[in-house]
Amino acid sequence: MEKTPVAELINVKKRIGKTTIIDDISLKVYPGEVFGFLGPNGAGKTTTIRMMVGLMDITEGEILIHNNSVEKNFEKAIAHIGGIIENPEMYKFLSGYDNLVHYARMAPEKVTKERILEVVKLVGLEKNIKNKVGSYSLGMRQRLGLAQALLHSPSLLILDEPTNGLDPAGIREIRNYIRKIAHEENLAVFVSSHLLAEMQRMCDQIGIIQNGKLISVESVGDFVGSCSKKNVRFQVSPISEAVKVLGAPYDSLITGQGDDYIDMTVSHEHIAEINKLLVLNDVDVYSIVTLQSTLEEKFLEITGGGQ
Amino acid sequence: MAKLLKLIQNENMKLYKRLGTWIMIGIIIIAVLGIGVFSKFFMDSGENTNWQQRLEAENLQLERQLEESPFQSAGEAYVTKQIAINNYRIDQDIPPLHSQSLWGFMIDTTNLTGIIALFAIVIAGGMVASEFSWGTIKLLLIRPVSRTKIILSKYITTILFALFSMVSLFLFSFLIGSVFFGLEGAEDPYLVYNEGEVRERNMISHIIGLIGFNSVDLLMMVTLAFMISTVFRSSSLAIGVSIFLLFTGPQVTQLLSSYDWAKYVLFANTNLQQYTNGTPLVEGMTMTFSIIVLLVYFILFTLTTWVVFKKRDVAA
Repeated sequence: MEKTPVAELINVKKRIGKTTIIDDISLKVYPGEVFGFLGPNGAGKTTTIRMMVGLMDITEGEILIHNNSVEKNFEKAIAHIGGIIENPEMYKFLSGYDNLVHYARMAPEKVTKERILEVVKLVGLEKNIKNKVGSYSLGMRQRLGLAQALLHSPSLLILDEPTNGLDPAGIREIRNYIRKIAHEENLAVFVSSHLLAEMQRMCDQIGIIQNGKLISVESVGDFVGSCSKKNVRFQVSPISEAVKVLGAPYDSLITGQGDDYIDMTVSHEHIAEINKLLVLNDVDVYSIVTLQSTLEEKFLEITGGGQ
Repeated sequence: MAKLLKLIQNENMKLYKRLGTWIMIGIIIIAVLGIGVFSKFFMDSGENTNWQQRLEAENLQLERQLEESPFQSAGEAYVTKQIAINNYRIDQDIPPLHSQSLWGFMIDTTNLTGIIALFAIVIAGGMVASEFSWGTIKLLLIRPVSRTKIILSKYITTILFALFSMVSLFLFSFLIGSVFFGLEGAEDPYLVYNEGEVRERNMISHIIGLIGFNSVDLLMMVTLAFMISTVFRSSSLAIGVSIFLLFTGPQVTQLLSSYDWAKYVLFANTNLQQYTNGTPLVEGMTMTFSIIVLLVYFILFTLTTWVVFKKRDVAA
């Protein structure tokens, strides 16, 4: 991908007092790409996002949006960003429309009335837009939040836990919508979440953060590709015989073994072959189970969910 | 500049779309009406029919006091002034002000600036703190607008509210005053005693001056409330402290007035009328001194507000 990144974090650090909250994070977000920022609660997702939108000072390092430093050139950098930071808190005593007018007045370029109505239609709030936000459901507020973020046609959308508190239908709606605008309108989207499954469905790239450190950045495309290779557990007996049978041809594929099982990373076709080999050699096969995918494993490992 | 105007427009929208703001304005209007009804229907109206005799009697008594028991210099000046003005009224046939005339009523209602100060403090206290408690500060600050402009627009909006209330008070009390008491005596001047001479002044500018003098206090307390609101992000703290100081400050300063340093206390300086119409709290204080002290406090408050708002990390 030889595109220029929309957002670039370069060795970003955040210290509060003596505690380092964000430790040397570097990453790039490209146009047309949904970047998932995944980590357990308290890992530093929200802090990173707050630094990206200038709500918090950056202790060290630099954040560039279209090559404008968020710190030194805030107004130019932020002009490209639309965001929802945590729950979209709106002015409850104003109507949804007045809320949008409020933010439209602060936009970098003039936002016409037509544009406001267009965005309202886009997020499906036409019917309720004149009502006070105080009467909105969480899902409606979330959609209004999305509307205010899109108002000035930003090139980078930053969403902090966008599906928090939504019902499954709402989550699916938001997810589809995010994918659509990213891929069709070539927007870069930066989404944070602590839910892996959701991230996998929504994102092109996933960065995993823990204790303020970016542990890895995985491309979901690669991940899907590697799906032809699976971690599979064969429950067999006797185990010694099985190891002997499989040892020669598949030695490199064995990733672990226990009292009554062997774990292997194998491709789809291999599973049947291995099974046949075991059966023909008088090894009893009790079960063949596909284990977690690599990304999930990694994520659970760091979040402690696998224990 | 165009951006700042839009921000002020935003802040005004947020202020006047709230019911509470209109209740405040309603209370001011009801208070003016109440004072009007009270003065018109419940006060003794015979007071001013034979004012000439009353003033002569008052003068006689004052002169006797002057001869019998010498006052301190300030007291003597006051009595001399009173006698001179009374004589001038009798000579020129200008009746003294009383609550049942347009001007008397309007001067009475200038006391309502205290309530306006109270309301303006409530608004100032919520201006920044509410954005934090609503959580809306996050979406407010991720716009291509500098924080300086945002805080400035909020401060200007607060001051505009106070100004709007003051103008409403003035216009409404003029309206109620002229409906209840008629325009009779509207051409009467306000009398001032200056360097041994009585002079006539325009009554409207006198009333506007009164409101203006009362506004000094208001401006300082509103600025203080605004600062506390920004620094501590708590509207109740801002409102509580400011209103407490608004009411107790002058008394406490009065108690401290025997100390020389008391003249540097904010409240020793907020009442500028002490120079035009009374004696300074601490000897040796002048109007210029007070204005400088007020300016120093003002700059201190606004600078603190600005720096804190600009530097603050907005965390959950």
